Order: sequence, then structure tokens, then C-alpha cells
Amino acid sequence: MNSSGGSAAGPSSGSGDGSAPPRRNSKRPKYSKFTQQELPACKPILTPKWVISVFTLVGVIFVPIGIAALMASNNVVEIVDRYDTECIPASMTGDKVAYIQNDTINKICTRNLTVPKDMDQPIYVYYQLDNFYQNHRRYVKSRSDAQLRDADQANKTSGCDPEKTTKDGSPIVPCGLIAWSLFNDTYNFTLGNKNLSVNKNGISWASDRDHKFGKDVYPKNFQNGVLRGGASLDPNKPLNEQEDLIVWMRTAALPTFRKLYGKIHQDLKANDIIMVTLENNYNTYSFNGKKKLVLSTSSWLGGKNDFLGIAYLTIGGLCFFLATAFTVVYLVKPRYWVGY
Amino acid sequence: MNGVGWERVRMARLGGEAAVVGTRRREVVDLRQVSSQTVRLGRVQPQHPSHRTIYCNDSDANFIARFKSNSISTTKYNVLTFLPKGLFEQFRRVANLYFLMISILSTTPISPVSPVTNVVPLSLVLLVSLIKEAFEDWKRLENDNSINNTAVDVLQGQNWENMPWRKLQVGDIVRVKQDGFFPADLLFLASTNPDGVCYIETANLDGETNLKIRKALEKTWDYLAPEIADKFKGEIQCEQPNNSLYTFTGNLIIESQTLPLSPNQILLRVMMNSMSVPSKRSTLERKLDKLILTLFGGLFMMCLIGAIGSGVFINRKYYFLGLFDDVEGQFNPNNRFVVTILTMFTLITLYSTIIPISLYVSIEMIKFIQCAQFIDKDLHMYHAESNTPALARTSNLNEELGQVEYIFSDKTGTLTRNLMEFFKCSIGGEAYGTGITEIEKGQAERSGKKLSDDAKSDTAVHEKGFNFDDARLMHGAWRNEHDPEICKEFFRCLALCHTVLPEGDESPERITYQAASPDEAALVTAAKNFGFFFYRRTPTTVMVRESHVEMMGIKQDVSYEILNVLEFNSTRKRQSIVCRYPNGRLVLYCKGADTVIYERLSNASNDIRKVTREHLEQFGSAGLRTLCLAYRELTNDLYEKWNEKFIQAKSSLRDREKKLDEVAEIIEKDLILIGCTAIEDKLQDGVPVCIETLARAGIKIWVLTGDKMETAINIAYACNLINNDMKQFIISSETDAIQEAEEKVTSLVKKGAHRITLSIGDGANDVSMMQAAHVGVGISGLEGMQAVMASDFAIAQFRFLTDLLLVHGRWSYIRLCKVITYFFYKNLTFTLTQFWFTFQTGFSGQRFYDDWFQSLYNVIFTALPVIIVGLFDKDVSASLSKKYPELYREGIRNMFFKWRVVAVWAFFAVYQSLIFYYFTTTASQNGHNSSGMIFGLWDVSTMAFSCAVVTVNLRLLMENVYFTIYVLLSTFYFYLTLLLVPVVALLSDFFYLGIQRWFFPYNYQIVQEIHRGEYEGVGSREFLEIGNNLTPDEARSYAILQLPREKSRHTGFAFDSPGYESFFASQQGVFAPIMAWDVARRASVRSKRTSHR
Repeated sequence: MNSSGGSAAGPSSGSGDGSAPPRRNSKRPKYSKFTQQELPACKPILTPKWVISVFTLVGVIFVPIGIAALMASNNVVEIVDRYDTECIPASMTGDKVAYIQNDTINKICTRNLTVPKDMDQPIYVYYQLDNFYQNHRRYVKSRSDAQLRDADQANKTSGCDPEKTTKDGSPIVPCGLIAWSLFNDTYNFTLGNKNLSVNKNGISWASDRDHKFGKDVYPKNFQNGVLRGGASLDPNKPLNEQEDLIVWMRTAALPTFRKLYGKIHQDLKANDIIMVTLENNYNTYSFNGKKKLVLSTSSWLGGKNDFLGIAYLTIGGLCFFLATAFTVVYLVKPRYWVGY
Repeated sequence: MNGVGWERVRMARLGGEAAVVGTRRREVVDLRQVSSQTVRLGRVQPQHPSHRTIYCNDSDANFIARFKSNSISTTKYNVLTFLPKGLFEQFRRVANLYFLMISILSTTPISPVSPVTNVVPLSLVLLVSLIKEAFEDWKRLENDNSINNTAVDVLQGQNWENMPWRKLQVGDIVRVKQDGFFPADLLFLASTNPDGVCYIETANLDGETNLKIRKALEKTWDYLAPEIADKFKGEIQCEQPNNSLYTFTGNLIIESQTLPLSPNQILLRVMMNSMSVPSKRSTLERKLDKLILTLFGGLFMMCLIGAIGSGVFINRKYYFLGLFDDVEGQFNPNNRFVVTILTMFTLITLYSTIIPISLYVSIEMIKFIQCAQFIDKDLHMYHAESNTPALARTSNLNEELGQVEYIFSDKTGTLTRNLMEFFKCSIGGEAYGTGITEIEKGQAERSGKKLSDDAKSDTAVHEKGFNFDDARLMHGAWRNEHDPEICKEFFRCLALCHTVLPEGDESPERITYQAASPDEAALVTAAKNFGFFFYRRTPTTVMVRESHVEMMGIKQDVSYEILNVLEFNSTRKRQSIVCRYPNGRLVLYCKGADTVIYERLSNASNDIRKVTREHLEQFGSAGLRTLCLAYRELTNDLYEKWNEKFIQAKSSLRDREKKLDEVAEIIEKDLILIGCTAIEDKLQDGVPVCIETLARAGIKIWVLTGDKMETAINIAYACNLINNDMKQFIISSETDAIQEAEEKVTSLVKKGAHRITLSIGDGANDVSMMQAAHVGVGISGLEGMQAVMASDFAIAQFRFLTDLLLVHGRWSYIRLCKVITYFFYKNLTFTLTQFWFTFQTGFSGQRFYDDWFQSLYNVIFTALPVIIVGLFDKDVSASLSKKYPELYREGIRNMFFKWRVVAVWAFFAVYQSLIFYYFTTTASQNGHNSSGMIFGLWDVSTMAFSCAVVTVNLRLLMENVYFTIYVLLSTFYFYLTLLLVPVVALLSDFFYLGIQRWFFPYNYQIVQEIHRGEYEGVGSREFLEIGNNLTPDEARSYAILQLPREKSRHTGFAFDSPGYESFFASQQGVFAPIMAWDVARRASVRSKRTSHR
């Protein structure tokens, strides 16, 4: 309690624990902007002016972007044709799975598509699957990137359950569920009586071709099991040239997805009728999945996608609305804003 | 003094005669009660069964016993134990343990993520924590080393040799000089004092600052010089090292004589008694635990939903999943229950990011830097006079400082300087002393009068302990007063009736007085200035140099025989001596509290009584500490008779204290009143402004004091604690009870009212109060370290509380709140995105994000910005924080970490995660790049991740400003999404913030607006002394702003009735409702104590 005052006044006793020489051992902290917390900081204050200007600004930026995106999307011509229900003989509609699993039945099917508007080349051909969980955990991990990349690592099939090896234990290349379930419908297009050739080169991402799939890796023991999941591969073509596989193996994010099938390098006129001869091989009937064929042109933004444009327009519009609303509130019922 | 809990005994001055300083020393045998190896702090060591035998000055003989060395270690780890023990400590934290389990889980096939996802962040967190631990332990080691290397003189052969403490051996003879510290527990052999005594201070042991006498055995008095000391051989049998302060049993066997040793011969260092500061956790952190628990609950719900979904989903129809008959349990449609259970674990691993692993370590780092860099180094809290910067002794409680609602303050030494100065007196019914106390100045100011600081008159004398001016008394002028005889009695009483020790040169200028309390020293100093210079004390006499003889300048040394000393204690509240004048006159002098003295006055002095009573009240209302002086003439017969009883009582073995008190009662009666003294205990600098500021900040200040009611009230007035409009409630209490009362009141408020309490004090008597409160603040820079050792923060001056609370506390609180809520938000957002994805993967637990993205999200992508906010965020500058103390109230009301706030953040987390997920997936649904290629899973997730990182960081930008650079990627499409998603995600926040600021602004936001555009910089140091000065315009606008929203809260003054009522109202029926009253009432009705301590 008492700070015995003696020490301050007492004569220096000469002992080690005496009073320190003044200032020498000063514990005064050094000044710095950091320790004194005086670093400059910019504080955004959301005053009405700011709120209104920011909303207006966002609106001003977003509405044109939305319009541009929407226009780009509108310029894209897209033909979508669902064929899984049509390409089935009337006699088999009661048991679609039996139909699709019966190899002896001819699966050829013909569809006629009318071109609604002029379509400039290149025209992209997609197939769209539905209710197909390419993003299922069991599915996603059922592949071996090492094996795909490197011919020496054909035995690395650890993640590939249950499509690892053949019955006698030799590795499947490419192993895993993804490759096993490769999509195997085929499309041929004719315009009038002229065949529209489909270019299947360059439909996969270059990075996949160059880095993920080896040029000296050839399919081995593929689709040799009792159950065939999907397409077979040409055992004489290295994997990096098997573009259908490369496209398929870039698994989709959602259970409804499109994948690029090929490109048609020919302009189409409005009202042209394209005859599609397709082989309806792939089984989506088991899980009630849809199959669609998509022909689409491209814009600077990509394919037909109204979403972005609409979203931009909506947000831009909303911002304008809010800006107006805030202005009205500001004028009608202002808060006392200090310093304004 | 540094933060580690070791303590040293402070050697006090010797009471010996004027000896040459260098030779003042004591020789002692080292008993080494200190058991050296890693001493467990504050715990009783298990006792060894037997005693130990020590051979003095004979290291060979002691060698066999293998006593431990004298080095101490307070470190937690050594090189070998660091890793295992450090890791063990880390895994005692639930979050770390949880992540360890998740990491283990993630190595199994059940996990959707690779182990790297959890191992990397966990390792980083552990690494940072371990580095911090190592750093702290290193500091402890350095501290230990500096202690262990302190030099002490040890007898080697016939010479004193300087040795570091750690090399000291059990049985060595050491010499400790005046003011030195004891290197170990010592047996006292000899002293330069001829009586073989020494005075020691034990403030570091038990907090008592008064000097204690230790006396060596007569047998050993002569072993003083090294040549003789070397011949000292003996054997000590004593108990094993222990932590008891007041007991000691042992024998010294010397020359085949066995001499019993008592605590009287023992000088303790007692390393074992070092206290470790009890660790307190902040309220915010406890609330954080609840938040984490809530998150765990959320995690469980999410996992449950996902797991049930997976059980329902799994079906052989998805042939592409290869669910053949031999499929593993987790995907086997034949046993959906197993699927559900296993998926549960999968999802727990997947969603582990909901628990912010780096939160605790980030908070720790932030708080550590806040303490070490900001609080410790704040120039505003550096006290130049005592060369003391502020010290944060714990980094746990920074944000608690921002929420303090009740301050409990000790008065003496905390509010006041504890520099007692003799200020006024009343002798024989006449009041003397022309000084005006600060309190009177304050009163005058309040009543509108202006007191001019009149120039000091020539007679004014101001020295330590004496600040008195009255021409009627000074320089011998009292001889011309109407009753010089009573003046003489007054001065003699001051010069004789005390227990002060003089020290230093026996000249009035150079002498210093050693006293148990500064009041006593002040009184003796006063006597000196009045011409009654007390300069020497022997065990039976007191020598006074008197200059009262008729002729000026002639001095006369008078030796008074002190026959009996009736000591002061808190029940007696008085102190008496019986002395015999050289001419044989027998007088009893008594000084004490007015109440006790007045009870014992003879009936004769009625007139003086009344006048003196008035003077006492005057002095009291001026805030002065008063004592009454009285005397009684004794006849020889009466005295002899009484003395027999006294000796009997003194030698009685049972109830000695009680009997002595009873005997004292017999003689302490029929006293004649001489007068009274008034001592000023000056307020510390800036206390009134500080208290006013704190009160405006909504803090209720309770001053707990043992003063007279009037003094206490007036101190309170002077401190701006109370003003005229307020009801007053002051708890006053007895000294012995006060400590208990303080603690009780503190914990009552803490528990009953659920308010954050802060206790501030400077002495050992405040320790319990400081430990009971949420935050203990010690006043440092003074001698006793006990309060500082028990405190959480140490500041040099009371007024620094303003900076500590309003600036550092407030900022720390706001920053921590931001950091915590932000962590909560960003992790929830991230995890929810993952959760939405689960619904579209057939509840398989597929991860949405790349392993590395997920593992680095917390520790890299979003870690630094939040730490920057935790360190640099400032809503308003330091000077504005002090200028508008009302801002602090938002902390008291916990405005920034309410469940409502958390709910708002949670809402935005849900909203934003939906935006991230659905916008990015929908936007990329049919989208492809211009060469027709479609995005895959990882492309979409990378996009979503980028959006999340950008948004989450931008969100922080809305709170504050910082710069982060992200490398962006590929297509237009990406940029468009990247522009769209954060804008949409943040639009609602922006809208919310705009609305909130517009219609429901926080106080700080108003202040920001007022001072918008002002540049804050070096100039802010002008506010060093809190300027509460608003320009009239500012004040008006501020006041206007406050009006409509302020829900008539009480102003928070300590004695303000609404505050007091609400406090006790909240007590009603909650916790011990009557007790608070009881403590208060019992204390207030008890008789008031006078100021003597």
C-alpha cells in the first residue's frame, strides 16, 4: 500500500540496485506510426451520397453489359432435340432398358431438324445428358491420371475401382468408371443429299491433350469385361488423339451437362432441314436420363446463355431503382447528416 | 520488473548507526530452501520426509548431500520436451484436436478430400503456435538467466568473491549489502548493526511494505569480517525446502551447542512462493466458444441432411457408378443405413472448413501484437517521471478492456499519490495552515468562485511530507501564540509518539525517515520543521533536538526515555507512548482517530473539544486525513502500578494482543486534547478529468476506501466522481475488512450483474480485488510490485485508464469482433457453397473445390487481410475516441458481438453462398468458350472459388481498406462472372450497410461523419491530455444526434442512483440478493475510520 518514500530521497548507497542514472535507461517507447497506431487509413463512409452514387454507378455499368451479353446470347442460334424418347421402337417403350441393352437390335434412328435462323460456321455439335452424376464422388475419383499420362504407369490403377483390371489381373487402360462409361451415341448429318462432315479434331481442351493424356499411351483391355459401360476405343490410337474420351473425362460440374461432339464447318441457312442419322447406343434409360442433341453457333461470349445478360440487367435495374428510392427517401425524410 | 512470477526479497535499509555505506552488510549462511529445478509456481511441493543437515562453510561436507544448485528455471520446456509437450499443449485445444481427428479421418478412403486439405492448415497453425510458445519460453529463459547471473558476495577462503547467484552452494556464507536482494533463503548471522538486527522489506513475498526486524543469534554476531567469518563452522539441521513464509524450525549446532532457530533468523527468498498470475479468459472468448459450439451444431445438421440424402439417393440404376454386388459399404444400396453412417463421416471431413481453424491462432497473434506493439509502446501511456511505460501482462484480455462497465478503484495510491503532506493543524482550538487543497479548489470552482493561486509567502516550507504555511507557527513564531505550552505539547507529541526510524546524516536537511506509513513520516517531518527535530532512536530513548528555548537559534538536544509503546492497530485506531522527560515528568502521548480519542478525553477540555471538532470537520471536508493528538500527565505511582500490569500482559503467552489492548485501555483515559493534524493525500494528475471522461463513457466507478465518510465523499467530489445532483452511496469499511469487502463487491457485480468489471489498485491489499475482477489493473512505477504482479495490465498513472480503455480497449474490442464475425462469415460462406453442391452430386460428398484451394482458403487466401483488420482497423482515431467517450458505450452494450450481429452475418453467408453456387453453375451451364468447349467441374469450382475469395475480401474492404492482389485468369466469361457474382453477392450487404448507417447509425459512425475528411496524423498527439473540448458546433450537432436515439440511459456515475438501483435490481432474486446490500450497509454503518494507517 505504502510506497515507502525513502528510496527516492535516500542517498545513493553505492549498491548495485541503486537508482538508475536518469534518461540513460529510459523505457520511453520509441515513436513510430505503427506502434502509435497512426498509420493512415482510408475509411469508406456510406453516406447517402455515396450509397446513391454507388448504386447509380453499378447500374450504369451493369445495364450496358447486360444488354451486350443478352444481344450476344440472342445472336446465338441453337437447335436442341431430345431424341431418347423418340428413338425407341414403339414396341419397346415398355421396357427401354431391355431395348438399349440388347445388342442385336439395330439402334439407328433418323431425326430431321429445321434450322430456325441462319447459322454461321463453325457450328458446334453437343450432346446433353440429364440426371447423369458425373460429379458423384465415386465416379469422379474412379480414374488414374498417372496411367493416362504415362505408358510406363499402366499398372497404377489404384483409384479405378471397380474397373481396375480384367479378370486375369492385367490392367485396363484407361481404367476407371469414367472411361468405362464413355458416351457412344454417334451422329451423322446430311443437308439435302449432301453429307455435312463433322470435324472431331480440337474438341478437347489443348491443355488436356498436351499434358493429361500421353501420346504413347494406347488403350488396353478396354471394355473387355462382361458389362460394357459405353464406347470402345481404337487400340491403335494413342489416348491424346482420342478426343471423345478426353472430352468425356473432363467431368461435368452438374448432373445435367453438355459435351462437345464435333464441329461443322459450313454455314446453314434458315429453314434448311438437316437429317440426323444417329445411333442410339447409350443407356440413359436405366436412370431416366434425357439425351439431347444440340447444334449451336458461338458469339464473343460463348454459347447461348441468357442468364448472364438477364442477371446483369436485373441487377443494373435494381440498382437504378434503389438509387432512385434512396434519393426519394433522402429528399423526403433526410437524416441529419453531420457536415452536410 | 518483468512478467515472470519470481520474486525477490527486497533488503531494506539497516537501522544501524552512521556507518560507511560500503561496509553495511550482513553475512549469512545460505540455507538454500530454494529447491532449484523448475519450481512449480504457487503450489505446495510434496515434503520430503526428513529434515536436512547443512554444514556451514564446508562445501566438501555438503557435497555428499548433493544439494541442488541455486539456479532457477521458470521455463515451460527444454530442448527435448519442447516438441512433445508443446504439441500436447496445442492439442488440448478443442479446435486443434478436432482438426487432428479430421486429418486422420482424411487419410482414410472415406474422405472426399486428400489429407493435404486438413494437414496443411493444421500444420501451419501448429507451427505458428509453437513458434510463439518457443519465443515466450525463450524470453523466460533469458529472464531466468539474468536472475541466475545476478552477482552476490560469497566467502571464499578469507575473501569475499563476487559470484553469480546460480553458483551459490548450500552452506556458503554470503554478504548482502543494503538494498540488495536475497539470492536464496538465508540464515542471518551477523550485521554491521551492533545489535545484530536488520530490517527487511518483504513486499515481494507478502506484499507488506513495512520493515520487519530480523535478529541474529547473539552467538554469531561476531562473524562479520571475512577473516573471522571464515572460521565459522557449524551444522544446521532444518526442515526441507518449502513455501511457508511464517514458520521455520531448525537448529544451529555450533561448538557442540544446539541453538534453536526461529523465523526471526531467516531471510527468505522463497522462490517457491512465486505466484503465477491466474489466467483469465475474456468474456468475448467465452462467447466465441458458444459460437463455435453453434457452428458444430450447424455442422452436424448439415452432415445429417447430407447423410440421409445419400442413403436415399444410392441406387443401382446409376449403372455408371459401378455399384456391383461387391461394392464397398459406403455405396452399397443393399445397406442404406451403413451408407448413411459412413457418408456422415465423409461429410464431416468435407465440411470441416466451417470450423475456422486459424481463428484462435489469428486472434492470439492479433492480441499479442496489440499488447506488445500497441499497449506497451503507447507514448500516451508512458509516464516520464517514473520512467514507466504501460505493460500488458497478459494478452488474453485486450478486448475485455473495451467492455468494462464497472471500475473498482482503490483510493490511496491509485487515485491519490500516496505522498502524504502535513497540510494543516489545529492546536488548542486554533486552526493553522493557509494552504488550499485541490478539493477546495474543485468545490470553489463548482460554486462558481475563482480562487487565485496566491504567491507563496516567505515562511512557506515545502519538502517531502510537509507542505505547510502559516506565519503564526513557522520559524519559532509559535512562541508568540497565546498558549505556547500547548504548542510545545503538540510538537512533542509529533516528535515522540511514533515508530519511525531516522536514517542518514543527523542533520535536518539530510535525514530521512523510515516509517511504516507515509503519514507517520509526514508528522515527524512536521515536528522537525517546527523545531523539534527527531534525529536518533535507541531501543529505550528518543533524541530530539529542540529549539524552543526563548532565544532564537539556540538548540538543545533532549533525550526522552520511552518507557512504553502502545502500538497502533486497526481495532485500537490509536497509538500511545509513555515517556519520561529528563526532568522526570511522566507523560503519555496519544494520537489516533477522532472518535476513539474523544471517547477517552477528560471532562476538563470541553471548549477545545468543540472547536477542534469543527476543525476536524473542516479538514475532513477539504479531503484531508486527520488525526487527534492528546496527552496525559502521569504520576509515578500510577505509572508503576500500571506498568506492572503491562509487563504481565506483555509476557503472557496466551491472548497477548488482547491483554495488551486491555491494559492500554486502563491508562489511555482522562486524556487532554491538544489538537489535530491534517494531512493531504494529493490526487494524481488528471484524475478528475479521467473520471469524468470514463463516466461519460458509461463506466460506473466505485471507489473503495477506508477513509472517513466526509473525506471519501470529498475525494469523490474532487474527482468529479459525483456532482451535486446525485445521490451518494459510498461504501466505507474497516481496513481489515476492506480487502474482503472489495473482493466481495467485485465478484458480486461480476457474477450478479453479469457486467464486465475492472479493478485498479496499487498495493497488496488490492490483489484479491484485482483477481476477482474481469480485468485487474495495477499501478506500476512504485516500489511494491505485488499489485503489478497480480495485475493483467500495469499502468503508471490512473489517468492512463482513459487511453487503456477508450482507445486500446475499444479498438481491441471492435477489431476482435470484426475478426471473429468475419471468420465466422467467410468460413460459413465457403462451407455452405460446398453444402449446396452436395445436393447435386447425389449426396456423395464430392468436394467442390480443389484440395489446395480448400486448404489454403483459410490460411492464405483470406488470412492476411483479416489479420490486417485485426491490427489496423480504426473506426475513429485515438483522439476522437477520447473526445467522444460515449462511443465506448457500444462496447459495454456489446453492440458488435451480439447474436443479432452474428445472425446478420450468417444471413449474408447463406445468401452469398447461394449466389456463388447457383450463379456460377447456372452461368456456366450451357456456356462455352468461343471455341465451343464446355467447362468441367474444376473449371466451375475454380470460378466459384475466385468469386468467393474476391467477394469475401471485398466484404472486408467494405469494413476497411487494404490491398490484395490476385492473379486473374482466362476468358471474358470468367471476368463477367467475376464482376457479376461479387456485385450481386455484396449488393445486399451494401444495401444493408447503407440502410443501417442511414437509419440506425452507430455512434462511431456519427463521429466519423463529423470528422470526415480530417487528416489524422502526428498532430493527434496534441490530444495527449484528453481534450474533451468540442467546438460548440460539434457539441451541438453531436448532442442533437444523440437525442432521438438515446434511450435515457443513466450516466453511469459511480454513485448515480439509476446505476445503483439497476445493479441491485438485477441482483434481486438472482444471485444472493441480500448480500450485496449487506456488505454495503454493514460497511456504511460501521464507525468511520480516521486516516491513520
